[in-house]
Amino acid sequence: MKRAHFMLFSLFILLLTGCSDDRFDRIDPHQSFVASVNTLEPSITFFDQSANEIALWPLEKAYTGAVLVGNDAILLYGHQLAEASLYELSTGKHMQTINTGLGVTNAYFDEQTEKIFITNSKTNELTSYTMKGKLQHTVKLHNYPMSMLVSDGKLYVINYKDTILSVISTETMALLDEWDIPTSSHGLVIPNGRDELWVGGHGEGSSPNQTVDIYARSTGEKLKEIPMPLMPVGFSQKNNEIAVVSHGGNILYVVNEDGTIKWQLEIGANPFAVAHFKDTLVVAGYDDHAIYFINNKSIEKKAQTGKGPFHLLVREG
Amino acid sequence: MKKLSSKIWLLIVLFLSATVVFMYIFTNFLYEQLYVEDTKVTMVEVGEKLQTMYKGGKVTDELIGAIDHYAAYSNIPIFAVRNPRELSACVPFDVDYDALIGPDERQQLIAGNAVTKIGYETRFERQIISVILPFTDQNRLEGIIYLYYPLAKMSELAKEEVVLLITGAVMFLLVAAFFVYQGMRKILNPLANLQLAVNHMAKGDYATRVEVTSKDEIGTLTTAFNQMARSIQREDEAQKSFLATVSHELRTPISYVKGYSEAIQNGYITDQKQDEAIRLIARESARMERLTNELMQLARKDEKMPISEFEPLVLAETIRDAVSLLQNQALAKRIQIEQSLEEELIVMGDEEKIKQVFINVIENAIRYSQENAVIFIDSKEIDNEAVITVTDSGIGIPAEDLPHITERFYRVNKARSRSDGGSGLGLSIVDQIIKQHDGKLKIESTIEKGTDVMITLPIMEEL
Repeated sequence: MKRAHFMLFSLFILLLTGCSDDRFDRIDPHQSFVASVNTLEPSITFFDQSANEIALWPLEKAYTGAVLVGNDAILLYGHQLAEASLYELSTGKHMQTINTGLGVTNAYFDEQTEKIFITNSKTNELTSYTMKGKLQHTVKLHNYPMSMLVSDGKLYVINYKDTILSVISTETMALLDEWDIPTSSHGLVIPNGRDELWVGGHGEGSSPNQTVDIYARSTGEKLKEIPMPLMPVGFSQKNNEIAVVSHGGNILYVVNEDGTIKWQLEIGANPFAVAHFKDTLVVAGYDDHAIYFINNKSIEKKAQTGKGPFHLLVREG
Repeated sequence: MKKLSSKIWLLIVLFLSATVVFMYIFTNFLYEQLYVEDTKVTMVEVGEKLQTMYKGGKVTDELIGAIDHYAAYSNIPIFAVRNPRELSACVPFDVDYDALIGPDERQQLIAGNAVTKIGYETRFERQIISVILPFTDQNRLEGIIYLYYPLAKMSELAKEEVVLLITGAVMFLLVAAFFVYQGMRKILNPLANLQLAVNHMAKGDYATRVEVTSKDEIGTLTTAFNQMARSIQREDEAQKSFLATVSHELRTPISYVKGYSEAIQNGYITDQKQDEAIRLIARESARMERLTNELMQLARKDEKMPISEFEPLVLAETIRDAVSLLQNQALAKRIQIEQSLEEELIVMGDEEKIKQVFINVIENAIRYSQENAVIFIDSKEIDNEAVITVTDSGIGIPAEDLPHITERFYRVNKARSRSDGGSGLGLSIVDQIIKQHDGKLKIESTIEKGTDVMITLPIMEEL
């Protein structure tokens, strides 16, 4: 009798360990989702269009960010981790480890060149990798490179603790230009078809930034400021509409490409990320651990995420 | 430092100092604890009241103004903050700016809890106690009320009194040390006197006495010392008088012997008188012999007789032996000795010595009785003891001499020392022998009526 119990127990343990075999919940390749990357207690929560939670990936390592690589991969990185990990979404399996070294601040995937760009605050370097995680080039930038955006073969990198924005060629990794910007800048967007680069930021010292600064892409010259208090740092663009979240004021601004504010909405608690997901706008509140689905200028749905949603990743099938 | 009093004094002063230091630290600790706690409670109370001014939504300029207005009249620095930079809103980012609250405090405040901190705050560049209360609306940390109080002010408050406190403590210690010193001297002075007295005693000054001033241990010790001193003095005097007596007792017969023998040698004594002179010399020699024998016997005073040398004695026989030995003396004075003896009385003892006791006692009775008198000797058993009574109707002993009658060379009539023929050692020997046999000697006497000598000896236990 006892032996039978033991066998049963052993089988159970075997099953358990078998299930937890370094594998997360699978994500259907045809499933559209918005995923919140939660950093306070690291995890990733996947939602469908109706704000239903479809998967939860609890993360054991102190990941501070994630980026989708292609259609079926996700790259997880951490500022205090020496390695970044590439997972396959459809299987939930670990695919690849990239030795980044400590100090990773951001990762960006350029679909055009199929390159992964990783910025590092310890080395102040920008490194490019292939989709499979193979190291390609490294280029030295300025203090604390972080925010990145690719457009027309140019990678725009904000040096967060510096007053310089670096423009890099995605092909050659050559430094093309450097512009003056305020320190603690964060968040980039390029309105479709315009010679503009919008830069958000936190502000310096005790004074919070109130505006989104617009620079001429061709010259790097500052064109104007659009007041969007306080501390606009999250951007998302779809069609002719740009969504901006100001985490200091808990406000979502929706603006035209010319910078006129169409409407605004007080939303979430300390929201850092905004994303367009199909016809819906999604905002993540870092302090209230919630994700908001906005339609017709109002909150349609609200769902709980893991603690501290910091990034939003969108895949539209 | 060698003196006991100095050691105790130092110890007490050390203890006092330690107590003062401990009390100072403890009071300081309590003071700060209580003061800090009290300040904290007050700050939380004030903060919570101010918190009620917030009605949700954004923190307005009016609200900040109102709190500033209150702060203008408050003795606690208070301010409201709505700047998200100060509220660590950018926390997931690496921010160079040192915000007013940290990430953990932000989490607590979002949850609606108050945060209290005690410690150094770089913002204010000093040690502060601070209370932070949140303005929250739908999990949004819209602002905070920050109340703080410099801890330095409290220690400054204490510092003013520190000089007073230290002065007071030092004064107290000095006064305490002085009184302790005086007290110690008063308590231990008799000990010093005692020590002095002991020194005197050691040098041979047996008349030394110490005044008893207390009833404590030292008082008891002093009393015991005085008693000891008295005993030693008495013993010493007895020793001296004993020696004086011995030499006096010996000198007389020696001068007789010397005088007569020289006279015979030089032919000053005629042949007719020579016999008499020689008889005199022989008598005095016998007297000296007896005296020295008795002295030797007494010298063994301290020697305890071994019980093994005791043998069962039929008391009546021993008494009869003694009486027969003295019969001639009695006849010479025509004294009659009446005996009423119980024959069955058997005691354990040394026969010669017991006989000596009776000889001495009966001899005394004969010596101090008038001619034609009667001496009664009576023995019987009372309470398992043999009681022998020798009763005479002689000259008697004065009451004041009775307690000393057994002392060596003690004579009731000092003038008659030699004429009555006694050496003054007889009763001393009797007393000593009876004590060696665990017996008792009791003498009752009425002057000119007679004397009763009662000797009690334990009866041999039947096996």
